[in-house]
Amino acid sequence: MKIGIPRALLYPIFYPMWETFFKELGHSIVNSTRTNKRILDSGAKACVEDACLPVKIMHGHVIDLIDRCDAVFIPRLISISQEEYICPKFIGIPEMIKNSVKPCPSLIVLDYNAKKSTNMAYKGYYKLASDLGSSKKDIKQALERALGQQRAYERALLGGSNPLLALEGLETFSIRKEIKGTIGLIGHPYLIYDRYISMDVYKKLISHDYRVIVPENIRPEAIEKACSIYPKKLFWSYGKHLLGSGLYMLEQGLVDGLVLVTSFACGIDSFVLELLQRKNNRDYKKPLTIITIDEHSGHAGFDTRLEAFIDMMEWRKENGNNISSHGKGLYIS
Amino acid sequence: MVITFPHMGKVYISVKALFDDLRVRTVIPPPISKKTLEIGTKLSPEMACLPLKINMGNYIEAIKEGADTIVLTGSCGPCRFGYYGVVEKDILKDLGYDIEVVILDAPKTGHLNFINNIKKISGYSSIPDLAKAFRAAYKVTLEVDKLIDLLLYKRARETRVGEADRCLASFERMARQVHGSSQILDLTEQFMERASNIREERGFKPLTIGLVGEIYTLIEPYVNLNIESKLGRLGVEVHRGITLTDWIKTHLSLDMKYRQERKTMLAKAEPYLNLCIGGHAWETIASTIDFYEKGLDGIIQVLPFGCMPEIVAESIMPTIGTDLQIPIMTLSVDELTGEAGYMTRLEAFVDLLKQKKGKVI
Ligand code: SF4
Ligand code: SF4
Repeated sequence: MKIGIPRALLYPIFYPMWETFFKELGHSIVNSTRTNKRILDSGAKACVEDACLPVKIMHGHVIDLIDRCDAVFIPRLISISQEEYICPKFIGIPEMIKNSVKPCPSLIVLDYNAKKSTNMAYKGYYKLASDLGSSKKDIKQALERALGQQRAYERALLGGSNPLLALEGLETFSIRKEIKGTIGLIGHPYLIYDRYISMDVYKKLISHDYRVIVPENIRPEAIEKACSIYPKKLFWSYGKHLLGSGLYMLEQGLVDGLVLVTSFACGIDSFVLELLQRKNNRDYKKPLTIITIDEHSGHAGFDTRLEAFIDMMEWRKENGNNISSHGKGLYIS
Repeated sequence: MVITFPHMGKVYISVKALFDDLRVRTVIPPPISKKTLEIGTKLSPEMACLPLKINMGNYIEAIKEGADTIVLTGSCGPCRFGYYGVVEKDILKDLGYDIEVVILDAPKTGHLNFINNIKKISGYSSIPDLAKAFRAAYKVTLEVDKLIDLLLYKRARETRVGEADRCLASFERMARQVHGSSQILDLTEQFMERASNIREERGFKPLTIGLVGEIYTLIEPYVNLNIESKLGRLGVEVHRGITLTDWIKTHLSLDMKYRQERKTMLAKAEPYLNLCIGGHAWETIASTIDFYEKGLDGIIQVLPFGCMPEIVAESIMPTIGTDLQIPIMTLSVDELTGEAGYMTRLEAFVDLLKQKKGKVI
């Protein structure tokens, strides 16, 4: 069977798992085209207006796969970690697509729910594959191989790689000159690892000769620990991931500044990035900028903002940490 | 210790009764006003959901009146509501307020914490006293909801327009002044009496509309621009998808019969959505179908802009509308929603229902 996989939402994180799994079971895979204007526009048109950009773009990728495959793979990631969720929209994404993409291609939905345990979650893979006619034995083997690939990938990420390097190749992102410093780039994977949506922010930062570290480089335990300053466990996996990695980067002095990327109308970010900014303003006072993206964002405004941030970084480097008493004026937010 | 808490519709009446009975001092935040919203919008993250912004405004206004402890309920996801308390606390801290924030999480996520917190805010009342006070507050909630429902019925039929609204307003004014559950219950009874005496237009058959959507927006008239009153005055009988009583039954009580009913109810959503995605999206879908089965003329879904679970429900609504041939309208509100445009949409929807009904009869 020819299975279409949308390059959207958590694709940059889980593609080794998904692709290996289907290939091992003898299916072939077609990926949607990389995000472009057509995908964005068609997605925005199909999807309800109030949704966030990444969800609209997911719709666009599904539309892109119409007529190019036998069925489109839609992961319903209810929970990827014990007692945690990702976002309500991740749970409802198959319904959103079914009701908004017309005519809707046939969908293969993976129900993945690790709220109780990861082993329980694998049931979703068994269910999905046996519906496609695979035997239990084959599924088990495919799952093991897929998990092997996924773990190797995650190790590479923790070792300093990132999905862009893996998906787009290293050469594109190498720094030619002397490194001026390190910037933490914080945002959901579907924002910062999508070169179209993020307006290539990663590459732009690098071409200013900064090293860039991302949440995927930070160990889960460190993230967990960094978030323990809050009186209540954060129950959004990626929310925690972004907040905790940012806190950790600041706390350990790993970065000279932070760039936060968020989507307009993202409910999760409105909370976690707020907490991160407040903590920074209170205790670390590193240059920080937050870039909000929506379907009307233009490159011009974006570039200006990034330039201003880089100027700030450089200014701070020259002037040390002599922060004026009106510190606030120094932060772009 | 002087306790305050965020507004959500008539919640304050029950909460006040509870703390009065426990002899704990409270400050009810002033009724939500433009000022409240302004304060809240200024202090909250721009993309925060509207309820959080209004909470912030409530706190600041209550602190000005002497509150030093904030009590609110929590939950453990998937929606943002569960993390309101933490974000609100952080904002207040940066503002330099020395205030305690007590988050009452649903018991299943940590019994001990829940009981300790209750003890803390109840001035260490004994367990039997606590149980009694909670039961009484629950009774208050039930009765107040009955009053609201009666007024919904009357508002669509009243001969003198505005009478139901006036009745409710004076009830609320007086509820702030009486003390303890027994006085509030007496008051509610009086107003039930007064409401039942509202004169109805004879033989008038109003249109019926079911309201579904995000709970805060449904329950808090300031946020939904008083949709119940607006529709009532247009001669529409409004049915509510979620009430405060439902919320309490679901989250705080062990009423097995209710749980079973709720299950049956949620099962109605099955063809469209069959799992909890957070907030009340599942209820939104289930109630829509339930209202259809009950023969209502139309459905209105209300949500605050950017509400994550309701956006999922919103994408399903048109399909239900087509499948069941029932008119459905979605209204998303934010701090900028204007009265005029809102009213126009309501009127247009009611006209549509009238026409449709006209054809059928
Ligand atoms: S986490 Fe934010 S950006 Fe991602 S789907 Fe949810 S609301 Fe959208
Ligand atoms: S249900 Fe909607 S309004 Fe309530 S916390 Fe979630 S996003 Fe906010």
